Amino acid sequence: MTTTNKSRSLVVIQLAGANDPLNTVIPYTDGLYYDFRPNVGIPTDQVIPIDGRLGFNPNMAPIKSLWDEGKVAMVNGIGYPNPNRSHFRSMDIWHTCEPEKVASEGWLGRVIRDLDPQGQNVITGVNFGRGLPRSMGAPGVPVASVGNLETYGLFPDVEEERIRGLCLDAFGKMYGGTIQDAVMDYLGQTGRDALKGADILRTAPENYSSTVEYADNPIAQALKNAAQVMTADLGTRIYYTQHGSFDTHGDEVKVQGGLWQQVSGAVSDFMADLEEHGKSDEAVVLIWTEFGRRIRDNGSGTDHGSGGTAFIIGNQVNGGFYGEYPSLADRDQLDGDLHFNNDFRSTYSTIADQWLGLDAVPIVNGQFEQWDFIRS
Amino acid sequence: MTTAVAAGAVEYLKTIGLTTNQSGRGFTNPYDCAFTSDGRILILNRCDTVRASLVRIGMMNWEEDYLGEFSRGYGRGDGQWIFPVAMAVDNSTVVYVTDEQQHRITALDTQGNFVRQWGELGTDSGQMNAPAGIALSGDQTLYVVEQGNNRVQRFTTSGESLGMWGEAGDGPGQFNMPWGVGLDSSGNVYVADWRNDRVQKFTADGQFMASYGSSGTGDGQFSRPSGVCVDSAGYIYVSDWGNERVQILDPDGGFVQLLRGQATLSKWAQDFMSVNPDERNTREMSNLTPELPAHLDTPYLISSQIEPYFWGPVSVRLDSEERLYVVESNRHRIQVYQRRKD
Amino acid sequence: MSNADIALMAHLMRRAGFGASRNELEQKVAQGYESVVEDLLNPGSPNAMPDDLIRRFHVDMAEMRELNSAGAYWIYRMVTTDNPLEEKMALFWHSLFATGYSKLNQARSLMNQIDTFRRHSMGSFHTLLVELSKDPAMIIWLDNNDNHKGDINENYGRELLELFSMGIGNYTEDDVKECARAFTGWTLGNAEYMATRASRDSIWPYSRIAWHFQYRDHDHDDGEKTFLGQTGNFNGEDIIDIIVRQEASARFICTRLFQFFAADEVTEAGEAVISDMMATYFDSKYEIRSVLRTLFNSAYFKSDDPRFARVKGPVELVVGAVRLAGTYREPTFGADQLARYTLYMGQGIFQPPSVEGWHEGSEWIDSGALVERVNFVGKELGDPRNPGVQALIDRMSADVDGPLSGAAQVDACADLLGPIVLSDTTRTSLSEFAGEQGAADLREGSRTEADDQRIANLLRLLTATREYQLA
Repeated sequence: MTTTNKSRSLVVIQLAGANDPLNTVIPYTDGLYYDFRPNVGIPTDQVIPIDGRLGFNPNMAPIKSLWDEGKVAMVNGIGYPNPNRSHFRSMDIWHTCEPEKVASEGWLGRVIRDLDPQGQNVITGVNFGRGLPRSMGAPGVPVASVGNLETYGLFPDVEEERIRGLCLDAFGKMYGGTIQDAVMDYLGQTGRDALKGADILRTAPENYSSTVEYADNPIAQALKNAAQVMTADLGTRIYYTQHGSFDTHGDEVKVQGGLWQQVSGAVSDFMADLEEHGKSDEAVVLIWTEFGRRIRDNGSGTDHGSGGTAFIIGNQVNGGFYGEYPSLADRDQLDGDLHFNNDFRSTYSTIADQWLGLDAVPIVNGQFEQWDFIRS
Repeated sequence: MTTAVAAGAVEYLKTIGLTTNQSGRGFTNPYDCAFTSDGRILILNRCDTVRASLVRIGMMNWEEDYLGEFSRGYGRGDGQWIFPVAMAVDNSTVVYVTDEQQHRITALDTQGNFVRQWGELGTDSGQMNAPAGIALSGDQTLYVVEQGNNRVQRFTTSGESLGMWGEAGDGPGQFNMPWGVGLDSSGNVYVADWRNDRVQKFTADGQFMASYGSSGTGDGQFSRPSGVCVDSAGYIYVSDWGNERVQILDPDGGFVQLLRGQATLSKWAQDFMSVNPDERNTREMSNLTPELPAHLDTPYLISSQIEPYFWGPVSVRLDSEERLYVVESNRHRIQVYQRRKD
Repeated sequence: MSNADIALMAHLMRRAGFGASRNELEQKVAQGYESVVEDLLNPGSPNAMPDDLIRRFHVDMAEMRELNSAGAYWIYRMVTTDNPLEEKMALFWHSLFATGYSKLNQARSLMNQIDTFRRHSMGSFHTLLVELSKDPAMIIWLDNNDNHKGDINENYGRELLELFSMGIGNYTEDDVKECARAFTGWTLGNAEYMATRASRDSIWPYSRIAWHFQYRDHDHDDGEKTFLGQTGNFNGEDIIDIIVRQEASARFICTRLFQFFAADEVTEAGEAVISDMMATYFDSKYEIRSVLRTLFNSAYFKSDDPRFARVKGPVELVVGAVRLAGTYREPTFGADQLARYTLYMGQGIFQPPSVEGWHEGSEWIDSGALVERVNFVGKELGDPRNPGVQALIDRMSADVDGPLSGAAQVDACADLLGPIVLSDTTRTSLSEFAGEQGAADLREGSRTEADDQRIANLLRLLTATREYQLA
């Protein structure tokens, strides 16, 4: 393997709203599944079989192809003790690796700080979306949040190009120079960082070309932006985006199916794009969601539950099953939900340690057994 | 006196609907309902900004079977909606929906096919400003209440303006941001004159006949009435939005009855409870109509705390059997009442 | 009317409010500084945007299911109120008693908490702490619904002492436990059901059910307690009685008020003011209004020391820009986004990063937050169609007798935006920018849309400066 650790990157996709694992990886030969899902079950003949027990949602054919190529690790039964079934709280737990109390530092923020301790590259972490995901937030860690790569940066709504240029020019001058005041000096540095980050990022689309045509939906466009930044070799290591809403209390079969069609297509196009640019050995994609959903449907959808499935996808991934697929039997349920059997921090640890070469313990707040889904 | 109050009074039948944050079965800020001749109940879901893309009309029947939904989606394209407010269904089952943000009426069939649309911002004939309530008369004339123009405009179902009446003010025939409209069996027109806290009655061509109510919380008084409908005997039902209640007036406008709401679990809500035992069990041990601290003293705050009470009653409508449907935007449900047969 | 008077009044209004236009400043200078302070401290009717209009236009703000609907609703109020200090104080209490949506999933109850803060914003600190302890959002946030007789949960008891009144080092672990015992039985109505719904983020079957306080006598530990050296069968009010009498509480609350209203850093001169505020705190029986009066009327507050010595918080920044631009004066399409912008800048209303609230001062700003600040404010004040911008340019045009050079434009704009004091580098860069754009002729008859646009562009750039980030 010629890849050095420095070029390895992680692409995180959050399935916001809590994806239903039972209708993602379907135990299609288990009669209990159809007993519990009279209204929102996926008919056996529509499931894309993986083996004699489990199969993919019919909208996940592109993921199935990647699976067949051995590039998909599936972690079933993922969760954490005493599951919380509130979106915000459970997301917080996944973001901060702190299940007990309200914490403020995100695990990816710590990853970025460890990757670039001096903060030399202001775009080591890039989020595609508005606002800062809690995962990436840590004091002193710069992260660029990009709504749209083409218009990213300062003064996006100045229509006249000449005026925008003058504004940016003036901004650079105004924030330059040293000043004998700690706060003003800090602001100056911050302003120059902001300008620099925007300048670098905006070059990415200009130098990018690809035969891959991404679909016109938010997740596909976000991953296209990620590919643009990645192929521009700007030193970005952590990419983040989210898609949803998977909060399918109603109309689940249609809504969740449509979302998975978008996610599967986008991930598959992204992998093809990286392949085309010789980057496919350098990226690993992590797909996670904050909790699972009730085993029993509610007549139209499913309500908040626990126990989920995460995916790790890439050329350097050992494809296959990790974690046990939870039993649906009444005695094995956790208050009507799938019972988790592995901690999400094991998956995080594996990625931080084996893929990014970092000490995982401080990143995930503890020692967790690691998987072997990263090729050695 | 007791007999006088009893005449025209209604009793509670049941609650239909359930909140949802997705498409499909369930309501998302329902704003109006209507009925087709084949027994379908249509529910217009206005949706809040977070779920704007789910704007739609859902269909169900009295037995609470979910029968699908239709719309052209959220947006400014043909037949699409931004802020839909109210709807009416004609003899051919074409649905007319007002959109107060786009100042137009859209007509769709119940498969969601685009039929036509008309209107734009303005004060001229055929133009509109923030159309809100809409009602259809027996002769298939549409009455559209314009919140922004403070007037009622009449249209044919093909969108031709047949004239209008009203202006800003608080005198007879004047309006202040009117909202709902209802018709009686003689074709007289009742308008919920929202910011004047009253209901005005007009002849079919706009002659002022009467005004009911004044600002306040007493019997027969209103706070920002949103909707009005009239049954075959002439009883007037008003959703008293700001007071979070419904009032019933007799055909002369005399006070008959006041409803505060008494919702119970709909069939769909029971489905939810059956698969979420932790919520069901703790709910069963709760008092859902508790005493509140003194500072929670407005009808709005009280309704935010007491689930069976009306919260955001935006429309009242009668079906062919003269059952009264009270549509509650903030509670995503409809409480149904019926006048006692006496 | 001297420039110094205007500058001082602008300082007061940035701190005790969300800034003011030049016309407002002139009126207030004419009224007199201390009289303005009294008006701020004794608010009348807010004349804010009426609830009925908001709820009819914004379905989401009527139901208030969503976090951002509540945030935007509050921002509407901050933007349109005639009582800016009342809202600023509610914001202060929210910063201090930071309660997060993430654990509650209950926006209406959070708004009720803000209403409580507003109602008691400048009254007795004792009353406020009692009301805070009865606030159902706070009860769930710090687990007091799990604080039972014989089985205490000390979370609220601890934070009341550590984060809300005295600060660490002024009590023992035993005091924490005794404090928690005193608050057993302080819970919310239907606590079990409401906690279940909160923990499941449930909107079912019929949307959120807002919360109210309930005292459960049978779950209250009525036994003897020893708290900060005093012994008795204390209930929660008795504990607060003891807390507010502590010197540590006086220091804590006066320091926090000082940092919110005067300066991020407490200098030696600042320490002296804090001492005066503490004396007022005790003299007035813990009345916040009196404490603020002492601060605002102090020679220190009026001096150069605290001038531009605070980094504007995101909410202040957004509200200040919107008030000056004159936008969002009535229910407006898209207003639900307002709360999101403050989140992008690092201060999501009802989204404190932890129970300790936000890290303020220069920690408000990192490169991402700065981009959001510059872009938001620039959009509001860089659009000459916005009524406040138009008024500002009108005001400028009234004083001109010829085309304005770049430097003259910069000086006029900086004056009307504050006055803001610019560094030489900033002023030179802005002047060059304005020079490149060309002279603006604002005289009646020759003023065109292009002239207005040039001024607006300059305002946009001025609000992007380091200097504008400071209050």
